[in-house]
This record gives sequence, C-alpha cells and structure tokens, in this order.
Amino acid sequence: MGLRKTSETEPLHQVIGREFPRDAHGLSAQLRSPDAELRRWAARDLADHPECARVLGVQLQQESDTSVREALFTSLGTIATQDSVTALLPMLRQEDAQLRNRAIEALASMPRAVAPRIEALLHDTDVDVRIFTVNLLGELRHEQVPQWLMQVLAHEKNVNVVASAIDVLAETGQPEHVAALRAVRQRFSHDPFVGFAADMVIARIEAP
Amino acid sequence: MKAAVTPIVITDADFLKFREFFYRKTGIHFEENKRYFVDKRLIDRIEATGAENFRAYFIALRFESDGAELQQLVNTMTVNETYFFREVYQFDCLVKDMLAEVVRHKRRGERIRIWSIPSSTGEEPYSIAIYLLERWPLINDYEVEIMSSDIDTTVLSAAQRGVYSARSIGQLPKPYLDKYFRRLSDNEFAISRDLVAAVDFSRVNLSDANDTRKFRNIDVIFCRNLLIYFDDLSRRLAAEAMYDALSPGGFVCLGHSESMSRISALYTVRRFPDAMVYQKPMQGDRP
Repeated sequence: MGLRKTSETEPLHQVIGREFPRDAHGLSAQLRSPDAELRRWAARDLADHPECARVLGVQLQQESDTSVREALFTSLGTIATQDSVTALLPMLRQEDAQLRNRAIEALASMPRAVAPRIEALLHDTDVDVRIFTVNLLGELRHEQVPQWLMQVLAHEKNVNVVASAIDVLAETGQPEHVAALRAVRQRFSHDPFVGFAADMVIARIEAP
Repeated sequence: MKAAVTPIVITDADFLKFREFFYRKTGIHFEENKRYFVDKRLIDRIEATGAENFRAYFIALRFESDGAELQQLVNTMTVNETYFFREVYQFDCLVKDMLAEVVRHKRRGERIRIWSIPSSTGEEPYSIAIYLLERWPLINDYEVEIMSSDIDTTVLSAAQRGVYSARSIGQLPKPYLDKYFRRLSDNEFAISRDLVAAVDFSRVNLSDANDTRKFRNIDVIFCRNLLIYFDDLSRRLAAEAMYDALSPGGFVCLGHSESMSRISALYTVRRFPDAMVYQKPMQGDRP
C-alpha cells in the first residue's frame, strides 16, 4: 500500500461501449436519456455543436436535475450565438431565482450576441423582465451599456426598473449621466427613494 | 515647452469603487492597510493603458468586452508563488477530515485518487505526498495515487526534474527536508526519486473537455490559485470538468481567496475545523 502510480495497463477511464454516437444527432438523443449523468455528458459535449443551441434550450426548459442544468447553461455560454440567446431568454421569466440568475450570468458572458436583443428586452411588457435586463446590464461588458441605462432613466415609467438602473449607475456612472439623473429625480419627485439614490450617485460621480 | 503632466491620484472614493468591483469579479478583498499596494498597481495600469485618470480607466475596465485588462489587473494584484507546504491548513484538513470521509466509502486496500492541478513545478503534489506519508496514519491501509497536471510542459519537466531553491523548501520541517531531499549546493535541493516516481504528471488544459474527460473517480482535487486567472466562462468549464472527474462525495480545495459558490451551483460547501472545501454531493443528495 502507500503511494502508487496509475498502472499503464489500467487507464483512468475506459470506454467500453456507447449507446449513442458522439455526433450532434446522437448527443441530442442522449439529452433525453432518463439517466441524469448521461444527459449531463450530452449537454457538455453539445458545446462543440453550435447548431444544437435550440435543442439545449428546449432541454433547459424541462430539465429538473441541477447538475444537468449547470452543464446546459455552460454549453450555451460556450456556444454564445443568437440561438444561445434565444434559448436563454425564456429563463428570465422563470419563477426560480437561481435559474434566472444563471441565465443572466450566461447572457452576460456573450455581450456581442445579446446586444441586439437589449432594446426589445427594455421594452418588454413584463416589468420583471425589464428589471432583470437592467440587472444584466450591470454585468454586461459592452460599450453601449451607459446609453442603455440613460434610455431607462429617460423613458422608463416603472419606478422599480428606474431604481435598478440607478443602482447600476452607482458603480458605472459617468459625468454625462448627471443630467439624466437630475431629470429622473424630477420625474419621480414623489418617490423619496429615487431622490435619495439619484443624489447619492450624483455625489459619487461629482466627487473630486 | 513640454506641458506639465498631472500626476494620477486614486481618491478614497475611487479606491472604494475599485475594491467593490474587484471583489465582485475575483473574490479578493483588499483591506485599508493594502491601500498603498493597490494604489501603486492601479496607477501603473492606468499609465500603461494610456488612460487619462482613474475614472476613464475604470469605465474602460468595466465595459471592455474581452476582459483582457481585468486579467492584466488580476495578474498584477496577485502574487503567483509556489513553495512546499504552502497553505498547509488544507493538507491538515486532508489528513484529518477529508480522507476520513473518503475511506468511509472504500474497502481497506482500495485506491484513493488525488489530483493536483496546476502542478506548476511540483511543490504542491510533492507536498501532498510528503504529508500523506508523514501525517496520515492510514497510508499503509490504502493505495493512494497522486496525479498532477499543468498546461505548461516546461513546468512539468521542471517538476519531474525535482530540483528546488532554498526559498522553495523554506517552510519544510527539517526532518522532512533531511528525509526527502538531497542537498546539491547552498541553493539547490533535489527531491527523492521515489517521490518523483510516485506522482503521475500530465499535460492538461482544465477548460478543455477533451483533455479532462479521462479523469474520473477522483476523491480529492487540489486546484488552488488557478481559477482566479481564468475568465468567467473558463472558470465554469473548469468547475464542470472537476465535477465530472470527482467521485460522488469527492472534495475540491481552492485557494484561500477563491470561492466555488461564486462560480457554480454544483458543489456543497463543507466547513471543517482546518479549512472550507467544496464537495460533489453523494448520489441521491443531488438537487
């Protein structure tokens, strides 16, 4: 006993036989296996098949096993195409906060793919989706984020969406946001929280 | 005449804003007493990137799409050094608590697999080997296999050569030094060939599934101070790879400033007296 090295004749992991071929078709079929471990491996390996982003999205909507869901999110983040975004957006309407947050993280990791969808998301009829979109902007590395936040300050009617945008600006606010912050403070003069938050952000931006 | 250059200053508000952002992205928190260290490195990066001031630099850092400057900053703000018995509290946790749980599910004589990644120049896998031989009372009751991987073949060669500086072995208790090393000169110590032969070294990119899929049934993974250098997606890929490499109930040890909870929901946090580690749930415990 004691310290032993892996023997040459005993590989770390030997594949005996496969039920499903490792191509897009076989992996998509494996994604419907009753065995969660097999589904998880299929979800991981489908990251090499961008054409299967929609299949991953469909599975994400119905998957109940956390380990498979994590692999689905990671693979969609790896693929990072418009189809990935389409697959992830329905998650923003989920009741489960963990699913929503994972979707926001995955979307934030693909700024180029998600950028063309931001305008529509900021005009979504569901207030919660607009709030989650502002949360996404807080994580998104894209040069248009300051403009999108300005747009929320200028046009958004719901106070909670506006408050979320002010919260993001607490970190990212720049001098060009000050006028918009003053205007939104005026527009929501009946809401003490907006006044307080806007004043705090303005003070931060104007700090020497 | 040359225009006077305004010196770059990091204000208290700048420091707080940066500290909050850097913590969110990396899990590293700077206390006030690190202010000089942080300011100096921040100013270096502001100058290196040609930004006009902190505000311009921070906005560029915050919204850059490829994360390259954040990575530069992480490299600048972290000290990448390796030596024998570094962060030794996790090795204490290994021999006192983690292995006690691992052997609960194994028969006497069965194999235990430990994976140390990145191997760097070998200090960590050899420290684990020494710790097990010297401080784990059950070492003769089980077969322990230590595997160690790195993406860099140069450091893998150095690990297999096994020659270390006085600084590298500085934390080793003298009896261990005498037992496992041979002094080559005042500043060179060669590790025992038996220890070199006991560790399986291999080249692996942790965020490449094709490299990692053969690693299975591992009981403990040491992956310390590596994920901090990865971008968000690579970090998630690494967390996924380690999950699939582990046996149910297996453990992952990260560096002291790293947190798996910020990367992936796959693991359960385990708090032992010596260290906090992450565990792959047993089958049936998985949500």
